[in-house]
Amino acid sequence: MAISTNIWIWIAALLTLAIYSFLYKDNPFYKFAEYLLVGISIGYGVSIYWHNTIITKVYNPLVHEKDFLVIIPLILGLLMFSRFFKSYSHLSRMPIAFIVGAGTGLSIPSSFEFLFKQVQGTMPASLDVGNLIIIVGVITTLVYFFFSMEHKGFVGKVSRIGITFIMIAFGAAFGYTIMARISLLIGRIQFLLSDWLGIIK
Amino acid sequence: MKFVNFINKLDKRWIYLLIALVVIIPFVFPVGCPMKITPPVQSIYNYIEDSIPENGVLLLGVDYDPSTMAELHPMAKALTYHAFYNNVRVLFVTMFPQGSGMGQDIINRTLEHWNSINPDMPKELGKDITLLAYVPGFSAVILKMGENIPATFNEDAYGNKLDNLSVMEGIKTYDDIDYMVEFSGSSVVLSWLIYANGRYNLKMGIGTTAVSAAEYYNYLQSGQANGLLGGLKGAAEYEKLLTNKHDFSGRNDASVGMDAQSAAHILFILLIILGNITFFIKKHQEGK
Amino acid sequence: MKKNLVLLLISLLFIMLNAFGQDRAAEPMLPDSNAITSETVYLGNILILSDIPNDGGGGIEIDWELNDSLNNYYITIVRREGRTKKIVASDLLASSKQVRDVNSDEDMSNVKDGTEYFYTAILSKYAVSQQILDYLVCDSIDLNTRTIADGYQVYLISDESGPVKAKASWFNPERLTVFVSAIIISFIFLLYLQFARNGKKLYIRKINGLDAVEEAVGRSTEMGKPIMYILGIGYVTDIPTIAGLTILGRVAKKVAEYKTKILVPSYDPVVMTTAQEVVKEAFTEAGRPDIYNKNDIMYITQDQFGYAAGVDGMMIREKPGAVFLQGLFFAESLILAETGHSIGAIQIAGTTETAQLPFFVAACDYTLIGEEMMAASVYLQKDPLMLGSIAAEDIMKVIIIIIIIIGFILGILGIGLHIEFFNKIFNLLIEIL
Repeated sequence: MAISTNIWIWIAALLTLAIYSFLYKDNPFYKFAEYLLVGISIGYGVSIYWHNTIITKVYNPLVHEKDFLVIIPLILGLLMFSRFFKSYSHLSRMPIAFIVGAGTGLSIPSSFEFLFKQVQGTMPASLDVGNLIIIVGVITTLVYFFFSMEHKGFVGKVSRIGITFIMIAFGAAFGYTIMARISLLIGRIQFLLSDWLGIIK
Repeated sequence: MKFVNFINKLDKRWIYLLIALVVIIPFVFPVGCPMKITPPVQSIYNYIEDSIPENGVLLLGVDYDPSTMAELHPMAKALTYHAFYNNVRVLFVTMFPQGSGMGQDIINRTLEHWNSINPDMPKELGKDITLLAYVPGFSAVILKMGENIPATFNEDAYGNKLDNLSVMEGIKTYDDIDYMVEFSGSSVVLSWLIYANGRYNLKMGIGTTAVSAAEYYNYLQSGQANGLLGGLKGAAEYEKLLTNKHDFSGRNDASVGMDAQSAAHILFILLIILGNITFFIKKHQEGK
Repeated sequence: MKKNLVLLLISLLFIMLNAFGQDRAAEPMLPDSNAITSETVYLGNILILSDIPNDGGGGIEIDWELNDSLNNYYITIVRREGRTKKIVASDLLASSKQVRDVNSDEDMSNVKDGTEYFYTAILSKYAVSQQILDYLVCDSIDLNTRTIADGYQVYLISDESGPVKAKASWFNPERLTVFVSAIIISFIFLLYLQFARNGKKLYIRKINGLDAVEEAVGRSTEMGKPIMYILGIGYVTDIPTIAGLTILGRVAKKVAEYKTKILVPSYDPVVMTTAQEVVKEAFTEAGRPDIYNKNDIMYITQDQFGYAAGVDGMMIREKPGAVFLQGLFFAESLILAETGHSIGAIQIAGTTETAQLPFFVAACDYTLIGEEMMAASVYLQKDPLMLGSIAAEDIMKVIIIIIIIIGFILGILGIGLHIEFFNKIFNLLIEIL
């Protein structure tokens, strides 16, 4: 057993245990760790934005490279803050409209291509049971999401098969999620036993 | 009936304790569960092994934060080592501010370990590997990379101009990148698939948390992604593929966790069966 | 004589630079004593030049086919426009088989449309030095004479290929499918919107969980408990958040009619201000603006798990009778749903995140799955124009189902029964998609 002498590993280990203490009961150690996490993540995010956005994309092009076109997106960005002033809040619609318009224009054709790739992927590359199940699953699930006709008779039966496929998919997703949560726990235990306490290599 | 009531009223903290023991004990007393390599993982391995030429470029997207590091970090490290073994250049890119820290951590750890075990084949930051600077914008950044990667980032995360880095030689657009693997637990994977793969035909693999893995099998099936690493198991499989071929003396972060993973899963299955049995017995007796 | 002097000077320079150990991208290894050190090899015509198809102009594609034994050689591409030469690529492995000469942000007129360009390839076993690169682009050097011998390594030179011109394409035929489908989809949407405007009755099926809204609000009022409405961790530009806000309007109106309290803890400040306006309008519509309290719609934090912790704390303190989880959720979804279940509240959830839906299905009384959440806002409002868009979406789903069935039948006939005609049509369908 070789306990770490690195102060940062000790801090990380103690904070980990403080968070896990919530499993027993809410307590001041947990609250402290939680608030620390919130504060640090916001501070880190702000500093990253400052260095990688404000300095690199605004300050340097304006001051050093004399690229004055940057002023246009800068003004649009600043207009977003007008939301917090009641009499000027309508000005924030301009950058939002720009973002939504440009975003929609960029994303809609790409979304169509994406959709077609999915439809293409549903086509059978070979005739086997797996592909048949995929096709039945896709069609019945699409029928479940029909809203403009009542789900009764044939449509009702097909939509029931669809919801069964959906639930099976959810079951698989749930199982995967349990695996993911355990993996995160394993990661932390590994850190505690290896990096902190040195019980395992 | 007493037992049924006991199970139904069991304080969940006892279950937490049981899970903790089931995870900790296999670390201290490892069993060495056998592991089968699944085709989606093998696909990524085969592509990097066989289809990327020497001095080719592997782009790794590190779009995650410490909350999903346990699953995604081992994958990113394993692929970095694989690239090193095959003399492939590695570029890290991120769409998240926290991803920058993740990328730097991987680069530091892998370079340090690699150079210690392979002093005759050293790898260098800026020459064989680097992390591109974080630029906010998500889809806009991914799209701009399709036109001009150096102009999108200008410099790497260490402040070096990309034009001065030998790792960036000959890299202009996605056409100059041989393969990309995107590591993320969020929907950023979809942005890469839609824009980089959909519009620019960048060949891609996905490395994701187990939570999201089920969701991305669609894209594997449609061929938009050629491989998928799902969760810690996916990382462990990749490490096994690597150690089968190379004498890799590092700690396999994912593989050591597989015993604990298997034990925890067995416990969950038992608890689910027990819970359902007691639920139906109670329901039946209340019905009487 | 002059040329030999230049070559000699270059050789000397090269040797001197090597002696001082200059760091170059790929430091060449010294050739062995048996290597030919002063010869030029002629490759013939190896470059295939073409305009980059389906682009906005300013791009030339250069492909080459070489013997496999040359794959590990470095290739340098020189472009000539009139007498002016420029290095287009250097230190590129010959195995990459292709390079594109395009405009960049730094040099927007690198390749001009309509101008004739000629390209020559030079292969070398080791990386080419800067001096040789400078020599190659000298105006006075005619690459057609094709002699480069620096006394250091062998150079293999291709014939000059060209001319080739770049041109812009008006239309990218590879995206024709997207264009046609965008027209069809837009047409269907506009058609149904027109039907809706003309007063045609459009049906929307019952959505499970929405009928329980009234029951949930009524039960909370009877128990004297408030309602809690959680919009998730999305922003106002996220579609599920917008759908959540629409449903909030309907729920808030019901809450105002029952004269009870609604709590809306928010993740994002902009979403909070929007929710405040929505709830205020709903209360006014119900004729109860007096009981609207702005402080009931509050901002918690923009940290995911900090938000979950804050909302959990509020749930345990306030003990709402009904909890609505409608919006964009990620990993905190199960924490919220479990806490709501533990306090005995009736829970109605809805999200588009497929990874979170299993938790809601397991922990909540009613769950709106994916698109049902969008349809729920239409179901509650019954706005004719929104009903029109739902109907148009359903028509698109029918079209997709028909395409899949056609593809399946063609697959059976073409791949299964090996009928070549249907196999061809199947492959054509795949190509179109």
